[in-house]
Amino acid sequence: MSAEICELPAHEIVARLRTGDLTAEVVLEATLARIEAVEGGGGALNGDPNGANGIHAYITLAEERARAQARAVDRALEAGDNPGLLAGVPVAVKDIFCVSGIASTAGSKILANFVSPYTATPVVRLEAAGALTIGKANLDEFTYGSSNESSAFLPTPRNPWSAGHVPGGSSGGSAAAVAAGEAALSLGTDTSGSIRQPAAFCGIVGMKPTYGRVSRYGMIAFASSLDCPGPMARNVKDAGLMLLAMAGADAFDATAAKVPVEDYLDQIEGGVRGMRIGLSPDFSRLRYPDADTGELREQVLQPEIEKALLESAERLAEQGAEIVEGVDLPAVQYGIPAYFVISRVEAASNLHRYDGVKYGYRSEGEAADLFELYRKSRGQGFGSQPKLRILMGMYVSGEQYEKRYYERALRVRTLIRRDFERAFERVDAMLAPTTPTTAFEIGGIYGDSVAMQYADLLTVPANHAGIPAISIPTGLDDSGLPIGMQLMGPDFTERRLLRMGRALEQLQESRPPLVQERVGA
Amino acid sequence: MPEFEAIIGLETHIQLNTDSKIFCACSTDSWRVPPNTHICPICTGLPGVLPSLNEQVVEKALILATAMNADEISQASFFARKNYFYPDLPKGYQISQYDEPLAVNGSFELPLPEGNSRHITIIKLHIEEDAGKTVYKDAKRLIDFNRCGVPLVEMVTGPDFRSADEVAKFLIRLRQLLRWLEISDADMERGQLRCDANVSIRNVGEDRLNTKTEIKNVNSITNVRDAVQSEIERQMREVKAGGEIKAWTLDWDDQRGVLSKMRSKETEADYRYFREPDLLPIQTSPSAVAATVSQLPELPLARRSRFSEVYGIPEYDAEILTEERSLSDFFEATVAAHGGNPKRVSNWVMNDVLRLIREQDTLAGELGLRPGELAEIIGMVEAGTISSGVGKELLEQVRSSDRTPAQIVEEDGLAQVSDASELSETAAHILEANPDQVAAYKGGKTGLIGWFVGQMMQETGGQADPKAAREILESLLEG
Ligand SMILES: [Zn+2]
Repeated sequence: MSAEICELPAHEIVARLRTGDLTAEVVLEATLARIEAVEGGGGALNGDPNGANGIHAYITLAEERARAQARAVDRALEAGDNPGLLAGVPVAVKDIFCVSGIASTAGSKILANFVSPYTATPVVRLEAAGALTIGKANLDEFTYGSSNESSAFLPTPRNPWSAGHVPGGSSGGSAAAVAAGEAALSLGTDTSGSIRQPAAFCGIVGMKPTYGRVSRYGMIAFASSLDCPGPMARNVKDAGLMLLAMAGADAFDATAAKVPVEDYLDQIEGGVRGMRIGLSPDFSRLRYPDADTGELREQVLQPEIEKALLESAERLAEQGAEIVEGVDLPAVQYGIPAYFVISRVEAASNLHRYDGVKYGYRSEGEAADLFELYRKSRGQGFGSQPKLRILMGMYVSGEQYEKRYYERALRVRTLIRRDFERAFERVDAMLAPTTPTTAFEIGGIYGDSVAMQYADLLTVPANHAGIPAISIPTGLDDSGLPIGMQLMGPDFTERRLLRMGRALEQLQESRPPLVQERVGA
Repeated sequence: MPEFEAIIGLETHIQLNTDSKIFCACSTDSWRVPPNTHICPICTGLPGVLPSLNEQVVEKALILATAMNADEISQASFFARKNYFYPDLPKGYQISQYDEPLAVNGSFELPLPEGNSRHITIIKLHIEEDAGKTVYKDAKRLIDFNRCGVPLVEMVTGPDFRSADEVAKFLIRLRQLLRWLEISDADMERGQLRCDANVSIRNVGEDRLNTKTEIKNVNSITNVRDAVQSEIERQMREVKAGGEIKAWTLDWDDQRGVLSKMRSKETEADYRYFREPDLLPIQTSPSAVAATVSQLPELPLARRSRFSEVYGIPEYDAEILTEERSLSDFFEATVAAHGGNPKRVSNWVMNDVLRLIREQDTLAGELGLRPGELAEIIGMVEAGTISSGVGKELLEQVRSSDRTPAQIVEEDGLAQVSDASELSETAAHILEANPDQVAAYKGGKTGLIGWFVGQMMQETGGQADPKAAREILESLLEG
């Protein structure tokens, strides 16, 4: 395969712009041409669920904004000014971030007509670094899902590796766009795995930084105490570059950490010699309480994933890392039920503001009174996933249940955090599969919200603990679907995780089949 | 028939006078400002926004907590979300505090007549944001978000008041204190000080608390007193008639002066409180509390008793002089500069200076008349250099010019005439011109001396020293 411009790594685009070998406009036009070739139409309200044959990664394209940005970058280069860390790099922004002047839908009918008057901090920083905002990527409605099938904007994005499989979620459009060369990078969000799981499913790199490392200002909230914006890229170095452009304190986000931002790139090729990397039985024998009986059940990993885990450990060991087996993390088995409670309570509250009064969808026709206006607008505007979260969130946070559920869930979270703290006394990072299986089929488990949630079993512990984690592509399973492994480290060890990830990553030599179909092998 | 007593507790909302709102940079000014002009994405709850705490709010709330003798100021207090739907609450939840408020366990000694006082417990004191305003017009609801995010302190008292009058007295004292501490303008009409009252009654001598009603939306101290009084009377009538008090929420209609029951739909709610994940805990170190305490000014009630003790002025004077901090500072500085009888200074301040302050609609500290200048004027009057009438006129002249009292007296020739030869000449003229009065005096009507002195003052344009004039007149009339 001869790489096209739209398939160049972001860091290479920046380098070639600086040598005058490329211009931002050329990069942008190449990327728009790729979108034209593979996208097959973006998501739309009342769109065809099956869609045409294509990726359908985007909800909104922002060609004009991107063109203006590209021209500004090229002018800066001509004038000899520093065009920024991400000069000329096309970025797909998950449509959960507000971008001034562009529809910010959250994948929901209730915000389909909402055009934000302001721009989210991570997007402001990316654009200030010279990135080109190429469009808004599709996602599960309000990020509630792991398959991207709950978006009100159809068709569902396809996994570029197999049209019959989901790209994962909730940052499904983001992962599909990056994997298909429709953007070099994507800005995603991870509340229980929403960056790492679709990254793993689509064969790209996805990083959930430490909670607070990247500002949440302008990101439409799901579970505020868990939400993390983060980079999605085709290689580890690009993920580090993107994180570097976004990370840091923000006067608009009190929970954004004031910890100094490290240089994520200077040691990225430093290797893993002498680093201790842990494996835990709790990440391969997946125990979880049965939704009906509460009995602990056990799920085994897909064999190819089990094999990839061992190969990854070996690969790191060969490069000089010390592999520490048998690191116990006993509390992670309660991660999903605790997540169910915490995320629903916060989500129900975060969804209160969508009431049909100020912006967004308002039911048509006369309402008898205020409460009918609320009921109708919310009833018609929200899809089934937000409704499920509102119902459960209202239920468990009710006065009579609050202590039984919410407070216990918070205690579980503290226990998970302690498990990791103990583990990190022995090891520098934990290695685990990102997902128990590779991408599932479209329609395979959608509708079974418990099964859907258990797809996050391996990713949610890092969200509870607030620690950084990065998913790295390590190969394909027997049916040609990508496999991802994740590395989890202590707070603010992004630099070390990126360096480990660089040592582990196995970049794909071939284009994903859906891209091949359209542009050739 | 048993005797009833009223049990009243207050929930006050105090608007802190910060320049900007609690979680965004918008102005807090909402009085007679066009609707929805002091708003931004944050205070209107657009998707994706986050609050960031204005530290000034914590500082001012802490000042109030220490002034209220709160003995437990949390080292870490937390914000919580109070969830409910209302159109003027743009996020669908109010950011408030719940289980871990800024401070608990304060107290306030409320002075009552005849040296009595009432111990009022302050149960808790917490920080929260205000909601917007809904206006009904032509069957439409119009929403103004200007007030959204204006910082408030909610302060809850124990059920310690025993009459509507005590409630009114407390609110007057609270208003005084808030202005004294410069943390709130405390204007009830502008919603800067709001008060809900919980009212119940019981037989005198009982300990238990009976079912209470809650009175809301009262916007002046007089109205609070009237509303509470009318509710106490209603409950007594109800109980005497064998009825039962129900836990109603009552709305005060200040136009008609009546209480009406609010619809239960607007009062019953499970707010599903939980910790606000978007904000960090408020950290209040013991050293920050100690610093606030040490910087706290002397409070009005303490200053009031010190004034009567140290300066020996009547309680009435001390009360008026400490009504407002700037005035009390002015009084004290004048006493120091004057060095003489504090009661004389008090008379000047209470009568003449206060009149000027009202005329100029300003504070004592900004009047333009300095304490040293007032002391100088009082001194000149006491020394007989000028008459007290001239002294009073001097106040305004000094206030509105750059000249000192001594300069004005000198340059405008306002000093009293006590030179004997000059006064004798004038006196002789007056006697000559008024033979009838002279005859009457000599005939025994010696009370006319006052009339003669008056003539002297008129003749000299007020500059005659009345004492010297009287002596000269008497010697001429009796000679
Ligand atoms: Zn604002």
